[in-house]
Amino acid sequence: MGELGRIHQLVFPLFGHTAAINLEVVVMTWIVMAALIVFGYLSARKRDILPRPIQVVGELFVGQLYGLTEDALDKEGARTYGPLIVALFLFLLFSNWLGIIPHLEEPTKDLNTPLSLGLMGFAIAHYAGIRSKGFKAYASEYFAPIFFMMPLNVIGELAKIVSISFRLFGNIMGGSIIILVVSYLTYNLVLPPFLYAFFGLFVGTIQAFVFTMLTVVYISVQVK
Amino acid sequence: MAIEGADIIKAAAFLGAGLSMGLGAIGPGVGEGMVAAKACEAIGKNPNEAGLLTRTMLVGQAVSESTGIYSLVIALLLLFVV
Amino acid sequence: MGLGAVGAAIGEGYTAAQANLAVSRNSDISGDIFKNMLVGQAVAESASIFALVIAILLLFLDVPGVSYLKAAALFGAGICMGFGAIGSGIGSGFPGGQTCTGISRQPAVSSRLTTNMLIGSAVCQTPAIFSMVVALILMFMDFGQAPLQPTWAALVGAGLSTGLAAIGSGYGGGLAAGASCEGVARQPETTGQVTTTMLVGQAVAQTPSIFGLLVSFILLFRSFPESSSLAAAMALLAAGISTGFGGIGPGIGNGMAAEGGVRWVSRNVEKAGELMRIMLVGQAVSQSTAIYAMVVSLVLIFVV
Repeated sequence: MGELGRIHQLVFPLFGHTAAINLEVVVMTWIVMAALIVFGYLSARKRDILPRPIQVVGELFVGQLYGLTEDALDKEGARTYGPLIVALFLFLLFSNWLGIIPHLEEPTKDLNTPLSLGLMGFAIAHYAGIRSKGFKAYASEYFAPIFFMMPLNVIGELAKIVSISFRLFGNIMGGSIIILVVSYLTYNLVLPPFLYAFFGLFVGTIQAFVFTMLTVVYISVQVK
Repeated sequence: MAIEGADIIKAAAFLGAGLSMGLGAIGPGVGEGMVAAKACEAIGKNPNEAGLLTRTMLVGQAVSESTGIYSLVIALLLLFVV
Repeated sequence: MGLGAVGAAIGEGYTAAQANLAVSRNSDISGDIFKNMLVGQAVAESASIFALVIAILLLFLDVPGVSYLKAAALFGAGICMGFGAIGSGIGSGFPGGQTCTGISRQPAVSSRLTTNMLIGSAVCQTPAIFSMVVALILMFMDFGQAPLQPTWAALVGAGLSTGLAAIGSGYGGGLAAGASCEGVARQPETTGQVTTTMLVGQAVAQTPSIFGLLVSFILLFRSFPESSSLAAAMALLAAGISTGFGGIGPGIGNGMAAEGGVRWVSRNVEKAGELMRIMLVGQAVSQSTAIYAMVVSLVLIFVV
């Protein structure tokens, strides 16, 4: 039970403050990135009219996600944001699935990972909004319907970052805590494989998709 | 255990923050769910307008979420300001 | 137990009412409907059976060394299981009822309907199982020398958090399962896609109860420093209340969204992909208030 909430941190001084790096999360993120690079290389190597299985998988992901982006934005938007969306989804998918392998942990279990991805999506969405509408039209939206709603509109926008990142964090963290506690209660006898399948594969996939979709939606709301 | 005035106020503020956010989340949660259900219905009937319907749904949900955000603001005020 | 019985009773009553309606419509196959009603009610009752088990354990538990802390833990366990069984009890009633109606309309697909009902109501039970896990931990964990003053609030809060949050998720999961049974009865050839959509919708509708469980576990396993102030205890209690109540609405709302999605997948199966996508986005947005409630709880636990 003592494992609950234990993290390895590297703490070092930085300009008078102390900065902490969660070592495990960084290493796990590197593993995910390495896996993604290998996957990308394998699926794009020797592209052929008659694709090999791994190329089919790669094309499936790219094609489906481009389709989704195109529905929410348009053809031009899909060309700009499509690569980002595909990369985001694959990163989240691999991250959420990583916990199934023994001794590895989901990087998304640490709040910092979803929070930074949420901040990234937020920044991109608002940049896209300013670029497509112009700063004046963008800013005037905050004063709708009446000017004194401005603080609440701003909080509403900021709350989106909180909700998108805490949703992913809560689901993945909740899943792994449930697995930990239940395997402790049942002495690792029966349930863990089933629980891993449910929380790792099923919930992980759904949450990766939800996060990606919401990023697309936030961009499309800002652009249009 | 000595309970003083300031302590009671702090305790009441914490309890109030929990109640505010907890109860305040019920309404928007149900309401936004209704919006989403109706949006599914509309897309089922008229799939060609999916993009427009999605945006309308999001705007409707954003508006009905505003009371939830007011609760959040009140809860955070109670936690950090009082 | 009392509260758990309320939910299960409503759920079973709904099933029985629908079964009567179904028998009156199509009395030839009343045997099939009756059998199905019993199966459906048995599943709906399992939530109240969990509650009964916990209640009996609470009654006959031989507590070594009676302390206020243990009393708080047992109180929390009782609340947790009682509230937690309400939602799942009512929720499991929906698929049971819809299946009875469905069999009367389409007797040919009764076996497929029963399978679908069993899957749907089994997933509905998940929040009740979460509550049971929390209740069992509360009952049997040794809190040892933990200081009474803030810990009692943490234990009661842990019970409230999972118990209340389970109401919404259980009820919502039931709405989705009911719609899927209706859909299978209308369009038996869409069974596969309807069941998939139902499972995805239910999994997302479970999120508020997972948040409740997360907060409960943090409250249970974190050791709090002793303090004589009332504020420290109230903060922990409020953390449980916030996530617990905050989970009710989004759980029901997510269930409604899933209900809409599943219903229209069965009617317009070519657009299943688009419907699933809008269902997920709608659910994700309607979850955000549950997430705010969890954030407030985490602030109450860790920051204040």
